[in-house]
Amino acid sequence: MLIRLIVPGEHARVEDLNTSLEAVLKRHGIDAGVRGDVRLIVEELASNAIAYGGADGKDIGQHELSVNIAIAGDLLTLEFRDEGAPFDPLSTEPPDLEADIMDRPIGGLGLYLIRQIAEETHYRRVDDANLLRVSLRIPATETSP
Amino acid sequence: MSLDIQIFPASKGSQRVILAGRLDTHTYEDLDEKLAPLLTRHLQSLVLDLAALEYISSAGIRSIFKARKALGGHGGKVLVVNPQAQIQKVFDVVKAVPLNEIFSSTAEADAYLDAMQRKVLQGDEED
Repeated sequence: MLIRLIVPGEHARVEDLNTSLEAVLKRHGIDAGVRGDVRLIVEELASNAIAYGGADGKDIGQHELSVNIAIAGDLLTLEFRDEGAPFDPLSTEPPDLEADIMDRPIGGLGLYLIRQIAEETHYRRVDDANLLRVSLRIPATETSP
Repeated sequence: MSLDIQIFPASKGSQRVILAGRLDTHTYEDLDEKLAPLLTRHLQSLVLDLAALEYISSAGIRSIFKARKALGGHGGKVLVVNPQAQIQKVFDVVKAVPLNEIFSSTAEADAYLDAMQRKVLQGDEED
């Protein structure tokens, strides 16, 4: 299944995207835990794309962000494709989680969350697009045939 | 889904806030706005009751960090009560709140606050 939205500048549509995804996942009997993870990954990635539109916060104008969702065996895979500036969200520095709260920045956790929650992540630049694949494991006991 | 924010009157330097719904990109500004006046009051503790909060993203964590920093500036604490599975998971991954400041019931948080209060009073007597 393929869902598209235009970034940057469409915060409201991220919710539309998540609502659509949630309905599809529910229909496939995906449990609330995995649905929550999907919502988080989509929100973090889309927010990042909307806020920065590309690498180094450069405004590169509007471009399309599409999400393809596939379920195979016990893996749910989200593939994000956008034509923004080359940006590998997996390459960002991990935050210092041990620092005192007064020394910690208030942001910078979104992309880290994706990396930690996903079972597998893979980034590649193909032609003029960023392709990010994020897989989540579907707990066996929770899926119905 | 939106975010419901219920703020209780402060008592003994502690203020309780109940959050319900989703705390995310779409709702964190509402929370920031509602918390802003509380964060200037030098509260000893802000108790966030999350029993009815279903979802949090990094945008929501930012709001919690702002509150922790505001209170931390004068030695106050943000306590979290009854976070649901998704929220606990996100908290764990980014170490959003120290484990000893997360409670499974308001009674537990109250006991902790009482102990905190006693410590402050004892400290005053010793001074």
